[in-house]
Amino acid sequence: MAEKIIGIDLGTSNSAASVMQGGKPTLIPAAEGTTVAGKAFPSVVAFSKDGELLVGEPARRQAVTNPDNTIREAKRKMGEDFLYKIQGKEYKPQQISAFILQKIKRDAEAFTGDTINKAVITVPAYFNDNQRQATKDAGTIAGLEVVRIINEPTAASLAFGIDKSKEDMKILVFDFGGGTLDVTIMEMGGGVFEVMSTSGDTKLGGADMDQALIDYVIDEFRKKEGIDLSSDSTAVTRIKEGAEKAKIELSTVMETEVNLPFIAQDPSGAKNLEVKITRAKLEDLVNPIVQRCKSSIDKALEDAKLSASDITKIVLIGGPTRMPIVKKFVSDTVGKEAESGVDPMEAVAFGAAVQAGIIAGDVTSDIVLLDVTPLTLGIETLGGVREPIIERNTTIPTSKDKTFTTAADSQTAVTINVVQGERPMVADNVSLGSFNLTDIPPAPRGVPQINVKFDIDANGILNVTAKDMGTGKDAKITIQSTTKMSDDEIKKMQEDAEGHAEEDKKKKEAVDIKNEAESFIYTTEKLVSQDLKDKIPQEKGIQITDAIKELKDSLTQDTEQIKQKLEALKTIVNEVTTELYKNASPPPGEQQSGEQQSGEQQSGEQQSGEQQSYANEQQSEEQKSDSDSEQKSENKSN
Amino acid sequence: MSENEDPTNEENNELIDNPEKTDDQTKKLEEENSDLKDKWQRALADYQNLERRTQVEISQRVSSKTNDLLLNFINIYEDFVRAENSLSKEKIDTSGIIAVIKNMENLLAENNIKPIDAIGEIFDPQLHEAVSMVVDDTLDEGTITQEVSKGYISGKAILKPSKVIVSKK
Repeated sequence: MAEKIIGIDLGTSNSAASVMQGGKPTLIPAAEGTTVAGKAFPSVVAFSKDGELLVGEPARRQAVTNPDNTIREAKRKMGEDFLYKIQGKEYKPQQISAFILQKIKRDAEAFTGDTINKAVITVPAYFNDNQRQATKDAGTIAGLEVVRIINEPTAASLAFGIDKSKEDMKILVFDFGGGTLDVTIMEMGGGVFEVMSTSGDTKLGGADMDQALIDYVIDEFRKKEGIDLSSDSTAVTRIKEGAEKAKIELSTVMETEVNLPFIAQDPSGAKNLEVKITRAKLEDLVNPIVQRCKSSIDKALEDAKLSASDITKIVLIGGPTRMPIVKKFVSDTVGKEAESGVDPMEAVAFGAAVQAGIIAGDVTSDIVLLDVTPLTLGIETLGGVREPIIERNTTIPTSKDKTFTTAADSQTAVTINVVQGERPMVADNVSLGSFNLTDIPPAPRGVPQINVKFDIDANGILNVTAKDMGTGKDAKITIQSTTKMSDDEIKKMQEDAEGHAEEDKKKKEAVDIKNEAESFIYTTEKLVSQDLKDKIPQEKGIQITDAIKELKDSLTQDTEQIKQKLEALKTIVNEVTTELYKNASPPPGEQQSGEQQSGEQQSGEQQSGEQQSYANEQQSEEQKSDSDSEQKSENKSN
Repeated sequence: MSENEDPTNEENNELIDNPEKTDDQTKKLEEENSDLKDKWQRALADYQNLERRTQVEISQRVSSKTNDLLLNFINIYEDFVRAENSLSKEKIDTSGIIAVIKNMENLLAENNIKPIDAIGEIFDPQLHEAVSMVVDDTLDEGTITQEVSKGYISGKAILKPSKVIVSKK
């Protein structure tokens, strides 16, 4: 028997798990049975006053009695440098998630009768490397090997069997949960899914709709009987249950009644609550909430540079999408009917189980799940400039490398600072971690060749390796360190990058020109004092020295000044070198002189390459295409 | 028939001429055989598991449907209890209603369904769900002071937790 791998939808408020049985995904029930919310495992962890650990439904039930020791929505903190302090102990968000995963593992084992050691876990499409790594770590802590992390919208598409279609398509995934809305647009073609854009609202969900209905019922009773039930907790509890039941019924019938006898008592006797609710009334009540979803759909389409008519499939996730008004709203907005046949509450967990089945060999599929990097990954180079290695929205898994060099003579170590973000200056991005490559043999600046390779695996985990091509010595880092970046911050960073584009360009230009000037000074000084020492006429030598001095003095001034002085120095140096070549023994044929010119140009390019602390663009381009072709063959073998 | 035999003979001759190809073919067939055997064993195991699970599932579904029905019945039973409370406050004879309530309680007991004790008990998240807290220095911390919705237990399974208000100091 193949080892069972379970699929886990590790949600913000609730989690669900599923396993393939007889070729079909089956929901794993919690030991306590399903909850009111429908999903089996509330994502709640608590420590009782006696220090007992409570996970899931029991933790949710005691939350109001023990708020200080109850943790909800740990998912929102995943990948952040955050610690929960509970009863004198500290817990990382991944440890809290691990408690939930442990419970799921235990209940899955009870359900299947097998030991479960492996899982596929889903994450939102916008999760960054740290958040994905933290999710993977949570699995490891819980004793689960996370064989794959996949995006929630991708999982839902798998549950609906969209991967079986031969046609290329663009899928809009509308994930409307209890408290959050996520809209994702994906492209599927050639058996791969790629995320094109994500958008959403972290404060919009089905809970708002339930409250609107409860408020309406309480209001109707107040109008009829003059009694306010909102402060009577027994009455409110009954109304909540009645409203929930009515809401579900109204998905299939046009009219229902909330009928709660003996809800209150006044001197005139017992009062019964009887409120008729039509589907139209319910839709009227929730419509303002539904309409608020529109901007997220528009934004997702805009970011994907698509119009609604380009969308070929709609996938709905989350309990509120069972409501006809929500279905109709999405269909009307996009102009297409949504996929049906899978319970939207279970779709993500089912998809994770399907993916787990593919990995375990239980399910045959040609599908290769491809996600993209949410932000550009790069390293810090001279002057605090960010040099991108893997651009934003690059399909993963991927591997890219570039060759860099040293910025000073006899430099024996380099620090590789890995940064994530869209801004050209390192300071405006987030550093994911740094490491040193040491024992570089002393050499003039620009000579050592240091190859920096970024490798992102299918789970989105980043490995960075720096290798000294001279000695073969290397150093590496796996990005596991935490960062204070939240989803909102990611969004903010992307927006910042757009907003600051002009200002950033100027900043980068200033650093570039300064770097170029410093490098040119270094090369020229070396030229004058060593290589061409005896070949330069004295007066020219003085002119060059003066120009170097002026350029050095200008380095503290503004960009224009540096540019001017740099041009002046370049002109003098060019005059001298041109003179030198003229005086050299004339080579046969005109062609030769043409080659010389291009030779000069090349050396000029190389200099500017050094100034940016990376050498030989051409080489790095070749390497890039090499790794791209490796990438492709890897995909095929999958 | 002869038409069919010809290519086979040709192939055999070719195989005799080329022993390496025979080895390759045997290896390929062995691999295929072991792969198919593996798949067959898995399918068989899957089937046996499915049979066992189907039995478990049938009994689970029956009990889940029965419980759903009984939960709906409990709502009506509770309305009767409320009616009795309300009418007795108005000094109306409720003996008939009390008899109906008793019959209903017998039905629940026959189905192994018991109400969960709440008022005066110490809050237990395995049985109770707290909706709010109330300050009360006279009670032990965590004592249930009010039951806003009754809970029920069937054997060891919680049909519905009690919804309660809990004391704090």
